[in-house]
Amino acid sequence: MPGDANNPVRILLVDDEPGLREPLAEYLARQGFAVSQASNAVDARNKLLNETPALVLLDVMMPGEDGLSLCRHLVEAKDLPVILLTARGEAMDRIVGLEIGADDYVVKPFEPRELVARIKSVLRRSAKNGSSQQEDAHYEFEGWQLDPVKRRLTAPDGAVVPISAAEYRLLVAFVTHPRQVLDRDRLLDMVQGREAHIFDRAVDNQVSRLRRKIEDEHNEVRLIQTVRGGGYVLAADVRRIVPDGNNGITA
Amino acid sequence: MKWPAWPRSLLGQMILSVAVVLLAAQTLSAVLLYRAAEQRRETGAAHALAFKLSTDTRSEHGQAEHGQDSRRSDRDGLKRRWQNLPVEQSADLPMRRGEAADEEREQLLRSILVEQGVSPSDLVVFTRNTRADEFVMKRLRSQHQGRSLPDWANGKIIVAGLKRPGDMEWSVARVPLPGPEVGTLGGLISQTLILYFALVGGLALLLRRITRPLAALTNRLEYFAHTPEAHGQLEPDGPEDTRRLIAAHNAMEARIAALLDEKDVMLGAIGHDLKTPLAALRVRIESVEDDTERSRMARTIEDITRTLDDILSLARVGRPSDDPEATDLAALTASIVEEFEDMGEAVTLDEISRIVGSVRATWLRRGLRNLVSNALRYGGGQARVSLLREDGAAVFRVEDDGPGIPEHELGAMLEPFRRGEASRNRETGGAGLGLTLARAIADQHGGELHLANRLGADGAVKGLSAEIRLPL
Repeated sequence: MPGDANNPVRILLVDDEPGLREPLAEYLARQGFAVSQASNAVDARNKLLNETPALVLLDVMMPGEDGLSLCRHLVEAKDLPVILLTARGEAMDRIVGLEIGADDYVVKPFEPRELVARIKSVLRRSAKNGSSQQEDAHYEFEGWQLDPVKRRLTAPDGAVVPISAAEYRLLVAFVTHPRQVLDRDRLLDMVQGREAHIFDRAVDNQVSRLRRKIEDEHNEVRLIQTVRGGGYVLAADVRRIVPDGNNGITA
Repeated sequence: MKWPAWPRSLLGQMILSVAVVLLAAQTLSAVLLYRAAEQRRETGAAHALAFKLSTDTRSEHGQAEHGQDSRRSDRDGLKRRWQNLPVEQSADLPMRRGEAADEEREQLLRSILVEQGVSPSDLVVFTRNTRADEFVMKRLRSQHQGRSLPDWANGKIIVAGLKRPGDMEWSVARVPLPGPEVGTLGGLISQTLILYFALVGGLALLLRRITRPLAALTNRLEYFAHTPEAHGQLEPDGPEDTRRLIAAHNAMEARIAALLDEKDVMLGAIGHDLKTPLAALRVRIESVEDDTERSRMARTIEDITRTLDDILSLARVGRPSDDPEATDLAALTASIVEEFEDMGEAVTLDEISRIVGSVRATWLRRGLRNLVSNALRYGGGQARVSLLREDGAAVFRVEDDGPGIPEHELGAMLEPFRRGEASRNRETGGAGLGLTLARAIADQHGGELHLANRLGADGAVKGLSAEIRLPL
């Protein structure tokens, strides 16, 4: 997917450490990307005057203007997909990064192959949406809420329900296609990401894990129903609600 | 035995002890004053008797003054009128059958008479109800024709009979028995009470001025103990000593907060400065041709990263930057088990109940992950995870089938960099921070970490059970 040999996908890599930036640029080039490098925010802004990359890899901690501030600019003004590289793994950093519009983040030290998988996943999503613009509307079904910015699922009683990235993507597939039967291939196609290898093995397994978290054993109603012949359907109506500045949510 | 009402605060104890001592002192002085006043009244009465007896001219001169006296104001008149009771001359002993001589008053009167140059050959003093004394009653009735009799007429009188040497008849003088003066007693009591309340009240105000800043300082210390942040410091208040104490405490707080901030900045820098080169290294090894060699390198880098993460987490666990959030603990537990399943580890989810608790999910996951990793590493490669509600607490339990930990080492296992004997070789990896961190995370949530050997029916160790117990 990094484009063909004549027209490779261009990535802008912004990191102040040449020790990481240079080998990473080489590695990505070997993977078929065309990579430009910038060592700080000013440098990156200059580069963006002459070229428009398909995606920006951005270090969060940089001297001068930091990565979060540059990220906001890239997302708001340039509408570019951004993956943050962060040295810290604390929840707050991640949520802040995602909230200001980054498409994904990887924690240093990352596995280069995983980074490539994420780059591809983000590119695929931005190609589908026609833009990398974050969805900030929540999905609501049967009292459950899915926040696509924080990638967070909230139960009807307000408790946060921790789900994995794979489960999150599976749930997004369901809530964007409520009451439609999705067979395994279709689900695989929609949720393919870095955990693709897991999905190859067991979409069914992921669905049953998701069910374990959002369905009550004692409840008769099954939110995710199995369809004979192979496939699943979200048996609920989904509403889109836009978070309100004042008191949570309005319809 | 402890007095249940004994106050525990400095203010209460000081007020109470001062109040008790002051009450005792005031009571004592009030009693003494009262006794002195009584003495004075007795002496007064004795002098009055002595005066009457010594100036007795054996003539009835009182009647002439009767008219002008009766128009005096009540209280004044009352006091004077008995002075007009003349001395009676009587041939018989004035004491009747059934009346007893009052030795004390007799002696007092005798000594006064002697001082005045009257030497009694015979003296008798006794008390009698006024109404039983015909002499007095006759005079009173004639003085108060038709009107009510004065108060002392309902009381008692002191009667003194004197025979001078050579006298044939008794000279009998009478004065009303001095009763307790209600006015004096009331004045004494109210004076005592006013003094008492003024002193105790003033002392209470003063003490409050000292103890209020102390109480505020205690609250602040309690707050600072679990949230070491310099903001919200107290203004120095109260007397100079307290002010200095608060100022010194503020300085110490600022110092501690600065040290902790410094530590956070330093750890952030260490984290960044070590993780970036590690990331570079991780990228570079991708060009190593030999697959086995490359994966070994990758594993080493992962080990370093994990240790680094553990150290950084341990240093930050006391000052988390995120707030607790209502979280579905069952889903959290399940997601951890699933992570291990995905890595191909033999971790199974046992009994689980849906519990919602206010936790910091990122931290709790890390703690649970450490327990599961430990169970897998030292516990025979298998782990069972359960979540149950027990006695108002959410209990995450991780069990393995390993050799357990010798009882005497159980406590020491929670110390940093401590690993069981079985794992001394570096082959198993890890810095030995896993349990320390798990305990610190349990602490952070107000909970506890317990390690215990699981015993079989025969008493043999079947494995280890590690549990994080969080109050709900």
